[in-house]
Amino acid sequence: MGTGGQNSNRAEITLVTGVIGADTHIVGNRILSMALEEAGFKVVALGALTPADEFIKAAIETAADGIMVSSLYGQGELDCRGFRDMCVEAGLQDILLYIGGNLVVGKQDWAEVEARYRDLGFDRAFPNATRTEDVVAVLDEDFAARRQG
Amino acid sequence: MASDSNHIPLSAAQIPADDFARMRSENLARWPTGAEVDLIEAVAFQKSLPVHKQLGWVMRRAAEEGRCLTQPRGGFGTLKLQLELMQALDRDGMADIVPTTTDSYTRNEQWTQAQTGIEESEREGRSMLNGYPMVNYGPIKTRQLIEAIDKPAIVLSGTAMPRLTVEIGFAAGYSGYLGSGIAYTTSYTKDTSIAEGIRNYQYLDRLAALYLEHGVDLHRRQPGFLTGTNVPPCIAIAVGVLDALLAAGQGVRNYGLELAQTLHLIQDAAAIRVCGELAHEYLAAAGYEDMFLPVTSLHWMGAWPQDDAQCQALVAYGGTLAAVGGAVSVTTKSTHEAYGIPTPQANAEGLRTTRMAVYMARHIRLDDLPEFQTEADLLRRETRAIIDRVLEMGDGDAAIGTVKALEAGALDIPWSPNRHVQSRVMPARDVDGYLRIYDPGNLVFADDVAEVHTERLKKRAEEEGVAYDHNLAVSSVYEISEPLDRLLPFPWGE
Repeated sequence: MGTGGQNSNRAEITLVTGVIGADTHIVGNRILSMALEEAGFKVVALGALTPADEFIKAAIETAADGIMVSSLYGQGELDCRGFRDMCVEAGLQDILLYIGGNLVVGKQDWAEVEARYRDLGFDRAFPNATRTEDVVAVLDEDFAARRQG
Repeated sequence: MASDSNHIPLSAAQIPADDFARMRSENLARWPTGAEVDLIEAVAFQKSLPVHKQLGWVMRRAAEEGRCLTQPRGGFGTLKLQLELMQALDRDGMADIVPTTTDSYTRNEQWTQAQTGIEESEREGRSMLNGYPMVNYGPIKTRQLIEAIDKPAIVLSGTAMPRLTVEIGFAAGYSGYLGSGIAYTTSYTKDTSIAEGIRNYQYLDRLAALYLEHGVDLHRRQPGFLTGTNVPPCIAIAVGVLDALLAAGQGVRNYGLELAQTLHLIQDAAAIRVCGELAHEYLAAAGYEDMFLPVTSLHWMGAWPQDDAQCQALVAYGGTLAAVGGAVSVTTKSTHEAYGIPTPQANAEGLRTTRMAVYMARHIRLDDLPEFQTEADLLRRETRAIIDRVLEMGDGDAAIGTVKALEAGALDIPWSPNRHVQSRVMPARDVDGYLRIYDPGNLVFADDVAEVHTERLKKRAEEEGVAYDHNLAVSSVYEISEPLDRLLPFPWGE
């Protein structure tokens, strides 16, 4: 946190945040949203218990550049089925998709979990307890690559 | 979900019998397994269970004998996996109370999605649901779980919409049920109104009381952990007492109160003591003098460390805190907590680690220490200020007062996902590790009480060389999950 302003591009980037599905774990997502805002991004925070289609609706309405999905309760795999396809259908082919949290039921090998979410169409998956400053750094990197690419 | 009872104005009064009969038949018609519920037959089944499998009786005995019972959480997506889990917890974990946690689709009454989850779990050979879909299986099949264990069983279902799940659970032979209107609506929902959540739990409590009228002493329990994130004891106790008043209004007499551990030995012991004390005081003042109000202590409910060894310490210390505080039961976690749902083996180990800690701490009490008395006095004043204001706002009616007070922030819950809660209050750990309130929002405390919080938190900021701002609260959310080299490094190396 506290690096706002160093990357002047952040103010032009809109990110949708929320906790997907029937999941109420709001704390980490709220801290992430606060940190993204402090870093200078435009944040559209949907809060807990957000169905997949609400993320997409909000992304269309706000012309968002990225969607940051949180899932802490283990049922993320079921909630995220077809998420990328829904984005494409809604005309959001180029949107960056991120997910973080406890993404499966129980303790499983992270590399496998990450691969599973890449297959679901997410650009990046973050394990539980990722710090907000690391997320901001990754976002800077990804959006810089996008500008050049 | 509550449209059938919305014509009754919200109040703490008992639901009239004819209204309740109609509400029940509408409720049971919402999913095919509802037809399997027959109250008289269910009462007979409950009575056929030996007393040691009836949680109402077991909790009373534990309180009389000064025992601290152990209970984990646990739920998997199929009957087979759930049965194996409950047997492992009963036998390998020596759980005194065996749980069944429902999955999140069930909690949100999305039974069609829960059905898909059962099918996918069977196909994948692993649980794709984070709990047991009790409504989908129904009471007759679910009785296999009760028959597979030799302990009392409790339903754990974090939801504001428990009506059908409780019907199935009690009919299946569960003798305990965790959940309450204020706590779960403020902690597990986004749009649900507080009034609707209260009504749903008035239904649940009325049903429990109906079993009592038929001679079955079920144990109801209030989920005092709320959002599980640094909830100051005064807020947890205030909500617990208000939920207890609502339950008593429906006729419940066996009602447990939970407190999540702050992890401060003195503060937790004082909280357990003051919780029981104030619950009895307020319930008696409302005319309910025959209440049984045991207190349950909960292992750390915030973010856990990734390291198994650090988790072991939290599990063992959690047993110590519960026993030293004189809790009647402790709800356990395991070394897998950071990753979500534990395996049956890890869960059973958490139970045994806790049990050993309870055994070792069973004779120790802190009640005579000056620090304990200071903290208990402070806590009594904080808690009374909140409860008295809520009851005043409702002209003595806990239901009406709660709705108004949450709207105004006169009762407030930190980190709540619910839109009808101000959630402005911000807790943080102070210089001595006590959980204090950095920003009270619209909670009102006496000046000298508020000053203790501010002064102790300023001391922490000063000692750590950081600003006195909201980051004190944010860092307190993460603190316990930090790796040891950040928490307690060897300070004298190169």
